[in-house]
Amino acid sequence: MNANSRLRRMWADKVLYVMLMPAAAFFAIFHVWPILGMRLAFYEYRILGDHVYVGFKYFKELFGTPIFSQVLANTLIISAMKMFLIFPLPILFALMLNEFVNGKFRKAVQIISYLPHFLSWVVIAGIWFEFLSKSNGIVNDVIRLFGFPAHDFLTDKAAIRWVLVASEAWRNIGWDSIIFLAAILGINKSLYEAAYVDGANRWQIVTRIILPHLYVPMVTVFILNVGFIMNAGLDQVLNFTNASVNSKVDIIDTYVYRVGLINGQYSFATAANLFKSVIGVILVLSTHFLSKKLTSKGAW
Amino acid sequence: MAGRNFTVSKLMIGLILTFISLTMLVPILNLFAKAFSDPGKVHLLHGYDIWPKGFSIVNFQVVLGNPIIGRALFNSLFVTVVGTALSIFFTTITAYVLTRKNLVGKTPIMIVLIVIMIFEPGIVQEYMVVKDLNLLDNLWSMVLYRVINVYYLIIMMRFIEEIPDSLLEAAKMDGAGHLTIFARIVLPLSRIPLLTIGMFYAVMKWNEFFKSSIFLSSRDNTVLQVLLRQFVVEGDSATLVGAANLLQNNQIAQLDFGALKAATIVVAMVPILMLYPIILKYYTNGVMDGGIKE
Repeated sequence: MNANSRLRRMWADKVLYVMLMPAAAFFAIFHVWPILGMRLAFYEYRILGDHVYVGFKYFKELFGTPIFSQVLANTLIISAMKMFLIFPLPILFALMLNEFVNGKFRKAVQIISYLPHFLSWVVIAGIWFEFLSKSNGIVNDVIRLFGFPAHDFLTDKAAIRWVLVASEAWRNIGWDSIIFLAAILGINKSLYEAAYVDGANRWQIVTRIILPHLYVPMVTVFILNVGFIMNAGLDQVLNFTNASVNSKVDIIDTYVYRVGLINGQYSFATAANLFKSVIGVILVLSTHFLSKKLTSKGAW
Repeated sequence: MAGRNFTVSKLMIGLILTFISLTMLVPILNLFAKAFSDPGKVHLLHGYDIWPKGFSIVNFQVVLGNPIIGRALFNSLFVTVVGTALSIFFTTITAYVLTRKNLVGKTPIMIVLIVIMIFEPGIVQEYMVVKDLNLLDNLWSMVLYRVINVYYLIIMMRFIEEIPDSLLEAAKMDGAGHLTIFARIVLPLSRIPLLTIGMFYAVMKWNEFFKSSIFLSSRDNTVLQVLLRQFVVEGDSATLVGAANLLQNNQIAQLDFGALKAATIVVAMVPILMLYPIILKYYTNGVMDGGIKE
């Protein structure tokens, strides 16, 4: 196809390009413009006049700041805790749901367990603050029932990350089980029958037939989770944090927000953000290709 | 023997699933019970109680009668309804264009979209862009912010690709242009995908908290999620109870901050609960069809 005919085809499709204009404008304004703006990480911010190019000065400062190493560690620890501890739960949940062919009970459990996924973190924080309340929350009621003193988990440095993990699991266990349940329901029924004829019991059916069929979604989900390890959950942390536990849950996103938008150290915060975004892109891209190689399913 | 083991294990699994469901349901119902209880009796409620002690709607009268909360509720609805409508429209029209075969420049456009999808711009820069557009503290910033979500755009494209080519070709033969084909054929045939991405956008817009909190600064332009955070996380009771003087009776003295908070959380949950049947039907199927992880 030569340039001339290409132009002619574009002219013939001019209506299409006009229809594309709003999208092009939106993406340019809300995505491309801020991405280009991130070059501020290499410049010193000036309110008036041109910004001054300073190379990697802010990155050097960033890596020399003890708080940043702490924040980076927090991000990775919280992400990894969520990744490894929560990962098996939706699979177990789907396996358990699958034991109920009788639709009504399964349907009810599904409807209830998907719901928290659609609540905002602010609402979930509201629910969990009551849930964990020292005076009359269920959790402490149970603890007292067994004769132990009530505990304030939300202000306990040792407990707060577990609260993040638990509330994340609470929010997503049902929702994340969808993909596994769909894979289980897609298994050819004749496989089960053949196994029963051969004298297999329920446990053998789960381990020999169902679990192998879950290999692909398991690998896909796990690998993609790795790709998002730099996102430890901004909304969640913002809503579960308080002065006594902040040092344990301060993640890159909250750090950038505080240093950049609250303290106005724009270039420094942008450097932190750029570091996070670049590592994120590298991880997402590599896990996407790894996932494609292992399971033929990628991130998009 | 094997059969008996099977029943026992099934019973155990049933109990575990019931327990998990209860950990999700009871705290939510407990909030409703608190919100609807008689303010004087709220302190008698335990965390596991799902039935109000006494019955009163005074908490909702205070919450909804509070001009600040009323305003925030209106703003949230505005951003969600207008934002979702615009998002659906622009996502669909863009998906139509990008599914046209032989569109010159399609590959580079798709590459740009993938880049946009995985590279998160910095919040400082997003803030500055909104500021440069003079949209700070303007609800339109939240309506227009990410008006087209690339994930949802790709899902919409997959749906539109399903429309048989012969249908569109026939319309073209009859002299219909792209706009006519889009408006008269593609849109009417896309009712289900429109509902699907409509649910995606509505949930996203209603729940958006962080960007609302940095783009919208004044009380008049705040949204429910941001206001709720003040009550829930920061424990700002002054704003919440401030409007209680609207009440003309002697219930004011009895008002319970926890119960007012519960009522506000309930107000923030109601739209999601009202849409939940549609969300389940379309959002869930859409996610399974689109094969994306939310």
